[in-house]
Parts: sequence; C-alpha cells; structure tokens
Amino acid sequence: MELRQEGLATDRPLVSVVDDDESVRESLPDLVKEFGFAVRTFSSPEEFLASDCVRQTKCLILDIAMPGMSGPDLQRELKLRGHGIPIIFITASTDKTVRPQLLEQGAIECLFKPFSDTALLEAVNSALHSK
Amino acid sequence: MEVQPELASGEVQHLQRCINDLISLLALPAIWSGGDPSHVLHTLLDALMRMLRLDLVSVRLTDPVGGAPVEIVRLAELRAPMPSAHEICEALSQCSKNDSRKWPPPLRNLMGMGDVSIVPLPLGLQGELGVIVAAAERADFPRQTEALLLSVAANQASIGLQEARLRSHQMRVASELDQQVVQRTAELATANEELKKELADRRLIEDRLGEEEKELKRSEIRKAAIVDSALDCIVTIDHEGCITEFNPAAEHTFGYSRDEVLGKHLADVIIPPSLREKHRQGFARYLATGEARVLGKRIEMMAVRADGSEFPVELAITRIPLEGPPSFTGYLRDITERKWAEQELQRSEAFLAEAQRLSRIGSFSWRVPADEITWSEQLYRIFQIDRDVQVTFALIGTRIHPEDLSVFQEHIERSRRDRSDVQLEFRLQMPDGAVKYVHLVAHIRGDHGQLEYIGAVQDVTERRSSEEALSTARSELSHVARVTSLGVLTASIAHEVNQPLSGIVTNAGTCLRMLAADPPNVDGARETARRTIRDGNRASEVISRLRSLYGKKDPTIESVDLNEAAREVLALSLSELQRSRVILRPELAHDLPLVAGDRVQLQQVILNLLRNASDAMSTIDDRPRDLLIRTEPDDNDRVRLSVSDVGIGFEPQATDKLFEAFYTTKNGGMGIGLSVSRSIIERHHGHLWATPNNGPGVTFSFSIPCRPEGLTSDGTRASRIPSVSDAA
Repeated sequence: MELRQEGLATDRPLVSVVDDDESVRESLPDLVKEFGFAVRTFSSPEEFLASDCVRQTKCLILDIAMPGMSGPDLQRELKLRGHGIPIIFITASTDKTVRPQLLEQGAIECLFKPFSDTALLEAVNSALHSK
Repeated sequence: MEVQPELASGEVQHLQRCINDLISLLALPAIWSGGDPSHVLHTLLDALMRMLRLDLVSVRLTDPVGGAPVEIVRLAELRAPMPSAHEICEALSQCSKNDSRKWPPPLRNLMGMGDVSIVPLPLGLQGELGVIVAAAERADFPRQTEALLLSVAANQASIGLQEARLRSHQMRVASELDQQVVQRTAELATANEELKKELADRRLIEDRLGEEEKELKRSEIRKAAIVDSALDCIVTIDHEGCITEFNPAAEHTFGYSRDEVLGKHLADVIIPPSLREKHRQGFARYLATGEARVLGKRIEMMAVRADGSEFPVELAITRIPLEGPPSFTGYLRDITERKWAEQELQRSEAFLAEAQRLSRIGSFSWRVPADEITWSEQLYRIFQIDRDVQVTFALIGTRIHPEDLSVFQEHIERSRRDRSDVQLEFRLQMPDGAVKYVHLVAHIRGDHGQLEYIGAVQDVTERRSSEEALSTARSELSHVARVTSLGVLTASIAHEVNQPLSGIVTNAGTCLRMLAADPPNVDGARETARRTIRDGNRASEVISRLRSLYGKKDPTIESVDLNEAAREVLALSLSELQRSRVILRPELAHDLPLVAGDRVQLQQVILNLLRNASDAMSTIDDRPRDLLIRTEPDDNDRVRLSVSDVGIGFEPQATDKLFEAFYTTKNGGMGIGLSVSRSIIERHHGHLWATPNNGPGVTFSFSIPCRPEGLTSDGTRASRIPSVSDAA
C-alpha cells in the first residue's frame, strides 16, 4: 500500500473515479492500479469538485446517474471551469441511446456495466492519449 | 019454538061451536094484518080443516100476485098414499067448472077416497080471485052451519086476499120506490165522491202549483246566488242593448256599481270606444236579420274599465230563450293573466327551441301503445327531415347508419318489452353520406295503457370527433406509457442488478490480474475474491427485493357475489361496450350462491373476458354484436360464469394454445390476459375454458366452488384457500 501511495506522488497519471455505488468505488481502484495508474475515488461530483485532485486528474471515470449532480452535470461544470479532463462514462443503465449523445458532448467512452477490464483499459489509454 | 030436550042440547052445542068458529073466522083479518096472500090462505085452510073436520081442502088462485097460479092443498091426516096437490087441484078444477051453485055434487073415488062431498067456494065476487074447495067423506057434509062458515070464510079470504094483494102491491111500489131512492142515493153518493175527488185533485194541483211556484222561487234565488258569486262577469242586456243585470264579478272587474250601469247601453259601458261602432252594427244586424256572428261562440276582445284602461276578455253571448223581444246574457272573463301566460309560454317555447338548436338537442315523445312519435323542431333538423312529415320508425330507420341499425332496432324492441330507461349512442347517415353521432336518453313514464317515452337526442358529432381524437391519443399514450413503464421497469431492474454485477466483473478481472502478476499479489487477489462473493450476494438481494416489489401479493379472500361483481364490471364497461356497438345481454341467475375468492382478481377475469369478446367482434358488421354474460349454479356446488360473443372465433386446433402466455389472435394484443385469467381462476380452485359456439363466436366460461359452509362473510376462514405463494 505504501508503495502505491507513493505512486500517487510519482508521475503515474491520476485516474479519478466518481460513483455513488460503493462496490464500484471498492473494486475499480484495484483494477486501475493494476493497470499502473494512480487512482482516487469520490462518492459524488460535489466531493470531486471540492477536492484538490481536479487539476491533477488525467482521466475521469464518471457514473452517469447519481443523486444530486449527475455525471453529465459534472462534465458541463468542468467544461465551464475550463478543465478539459477526458471523461469515461460508466452506467448501469441499459439505455444505449445515451452513448452517442455523451460522445458528442466530448466523452472519450461510455461503458455499460458490467464492462470488462480490457474495455476499461482501452478507454483509459485512449483518454490519456487523447491530447 | 018447541024442541026435544036431548036434541035441543046437542043442537045448542053445535050452534055454540058454530058461533065460536064464526067469531074465529071473523077474527082472522086481524091475524092476517100485514101478511101476504100465502099467509092468508094457509091460516084460512088450517082454520077450516080444524072447524069442519074436513078430509080435504084446497085453494087455487087464478091471479096470484106477480107469478104462476098458487095451489095449496090440505088433507086429513093418515091418508095414504098422499096425492100431490097438483093432482087434487086438477081433479077439483074439473068439478069446480061445473056450476058451483049446484052443490053438493057427490064425487066418487076421488083420489082413492070413498064418496066425497065437495063444496067449491069461489073467491071474489065473480070467483075472479080463485076457488077454495072443501071436501069431506061425511054424508051430512055440508050441514047448514058448515055451509055458512064456509061462505063466511070465503068472504073473509076474499077480503083478506084483496087486502094482502093491495098491501103486496103497496109494498112492491114502496119497495120500488125504496129502490129508486136507494139508486138515486147511490148516484148522488157517487156524484158526491166524484166531486170530492175532483176537489181533492184540484187541491193537489193547487198544492203542486204552489210547490212549483216555490221551486221556481228557489231556483231563482239559486240562480241569483250563482250569478252573484260567479267568478265570471255576467251581464244581461235587453233587445235595445241596455244593461238589465250586472253581477258582482262584473262590478269588480269593470269598476262600476250595478246601479250605475243598469239601463245604460252596454257599448257605452264596457266596450272600448274604438269598437263601439262595430258592436252597434253587429247588434243592429242581428236584430234586423237574425244573423249572429258572435252568438254561442267564445271570442276574445278588448274591454274597457271605468277608469278607461283596456284589457283582454273572453266573451260568450247567449240569447235568453224567452218569448218576446230578444235579450242576451254575456259571460265575460278577464284573461289578462292567461294572455300573459300564453305569451310567456310562447316565449319559453321559443327559448326552448333556440336552446335546442344551440345545444343540438332535440326532444321527442314516443307513445308506445299507438307508436305515436312526436319530435321537436330541432330533432327534425338533426335528422334532416321536413317538419311536415309524419315520423315513423320506418322513416327513422332510413336515417340510421346501416351498421348501427340492428343495435337501434334491438333497443327499440327491448324498450317496448322491458319498459326500462334507454341510453344509447348511434350514428346517423344523411342522404349526402355525412355521418352524425347522436346520443339518445329516454325515460319511461305512464302506466300500462299510456306508456310513453320522453327523451332527448343530442348531436354529439363534434364532441365525438374530438373524443375520437382524444381516444386515439389516449390509446397511443397508454401504449407509450406501457412501453415506457416496461422500459423503466427493465431499466430499473437492470440498474439494480448491473451495479453488483459490475462489481463482480471488475473484482474478478482484478483478481485474475493480481494472480497473474509476478510475484502474484495473493493478498490482493484474496481481497477481490471476497468482494466478488459479497457483490454476488448483493445481486441476489436485489433480485429478491425486486420480486417482493413487483411480485404478486397474496389474494384477499372474502365472500363474493359473482352477480354483483359482474354488475360492477358491466357498469364500468358499459360505455366502452356501447362505443364498440356491442349489445349486452346479461342473464344473471337469481339466488346465486356466494363464492370465496379475491373479488378484484375475479373482476379482472370478468373484465378480461368481456374485452376479449368485444375485441373479437370489432370487425363484425353483418350481424348484431351480441354479447351474452350469464351466471348460473354449476355441478358439485360450483358457480359458473360464461361470456359468449358472435365474433371471429378461433381455429379448433388453437384451443390448447389459447391460454398460453403471448398467444393472441389480436393484432395489437400481448396475449397475456387469458393466461393470467386462467391462473387466477385456478388459484380459486376453479377452471377456465373456451368452447366454439354452434353459431358464430366463442363462449369462455369459468367455474369455481361456492363459498365453503361455515365461512363467515368477512372470510376469516379463508385459510382453506391457499395463497398464491403456496401454489407457486
């Protein structure tokens, strides 16, 4: 753990996860670390915005439907504040129609839960190389 | 003179006896006094027989008073055989014809007697009265004294007879006189009676006349009372048009007192100045020609009061049927209020007609026994039929949309039969092909002989088209809503399940990566495996939570009256069924046993069967869309409810599939209804089945057990019916 904490301080890109679902917040960080990235988790967009990670975050894995601010709300807010963080949306919804809309709005990817580890890795990689 | 003593003494006795007899004979008239001839003769003959010891004495009267000859015979006793008086008289008359003065001529063997000396004694101076004959067998008969006695007796008899005859004559005269008197008296009495009777009659007539006079007087009083208290004005006028009577109602109405107007011309008193000339002309014409334009009719005209105000009156004039110059009675009634009411009525009718026109509602009356139909103006307008056409059902039929005609006729027949209120929607087809939707409501009233439907027909075409648009929108909306809600449900299920699934997949992926690392991160892998198990459990919790949220709940078991349940469903569906032009025929059994079950679920089944039946007939236009719903007791303490349609039906081989979920004969249907219905019925220990009808269509029936004995009405022993979860 210490090593990984240290890793946060290293040049490993920071991937932030915002999801109100605890199981996601528990499971995703381990996987993302296995990918070799630094990771931070937040239970709501508000918590993320209030944190000091906004600037450092190189990729945002963002749930769509949450109480309070939704994923897209956060996307708009970040755009408003001038933070062009690449965003990977994840959703438990089965409504496939949201994906093109989100991509059009600038999202890197939209993954429908449950998604495979490789699909996530591809998305994170493309996010980090999007600039 | 010198005589022998013995002889002398016998002679003396004989003479003494002779003198005594003579005195007796002379005394006879005193005895005869007042007697009739027959009495005279009887006493004389008796006396002679006794005095002269005769064997026979007879008398024969030649001219008895007023009758045949009287013959009397006396014979001495003990002579037998007795000859009849007539025989003796005949024999004696022979000898009496001889010279009566040459007596005594002896007669021999007269009547069986021996030699008889006979002495005839004529009665009257010339024997004109008759003759007495005395006879004796004695040879010395008659001795000198005896002859003397006989002649004295004959004289006495003549005198007595004469007197008796005279007396008899007098008596006859007196009697005749008496009779005449009696007769006359009787006549007088009769005349008297007649007079009395006449008198009585006359008195009666007088009494009657008096009564009539009284009655007449009473009648006049009554009439006066009627006239006085009449609500109508009663005014009589004479042949000159002058008022002779003016009753209190007239005084009140016209504002004149009777005394003021008596003798005045009617025209000057109550007829408005503008009409006076006309009145005078009419009156003069009647008097001159007898031509009456107003007599015996009710006419309306204007009248004028004492204060000059004019008002409408109804007037009837009759001529008083009396001899002499004509006189008239006029009955007048102030009809101001009636006129006002008439105007109000006209106004109100105009309002109503206008209201009907604006609201597109026409009203009608249908007198059922005579099939008389009356329409309001607006109804003619709705049907586009000329006002002067007589309305008949045949005529109405020509305006009704062909597809709705059978339903309409069915309703008419049912109304005629059941006398129940009617509510019906149907279409009209105008000659130009335009279609109108109308809504008809009618109430029955009156009794058997005077049965009448009063109703209204509203043109609801506009409302209907907007309703149809609305209905289409609604059904589309409901479809969208159903699809949407299904999607939402699916999404929410997916969302709830996907969250833990996502955890599972992620953890499993992480676990594999940790184990594949060099060196393998066994602790991390263990941790992710643990979270995988936890998320798996969470997913299964989600499923069970969903099941409890969306799953079927236990049914509420209670006593259910299937008829009542069915009626509720029918009431809810009636308008929809009518809209689908379905003719509903409920045949709900009386005294249907209760069943135990979930009322709402059973009603869902009934509703489902009704909808299916209605849908199955939606394309049927060549026959009435009859829908029969029937309840009846079934075998083995069960109750059966069946719904029959005349719809498209189904292929016999499809029967098995009917109740499978997602099987449907409908274009837009999901096919869920029947399978759900069957499972509900089976949960009630019943069964649901379908049979093709003999004619067109299908009958769906279900049969469920009656409420078990002892089940209370609140269903407290419902535990005998297993719940759904038990059955599942």
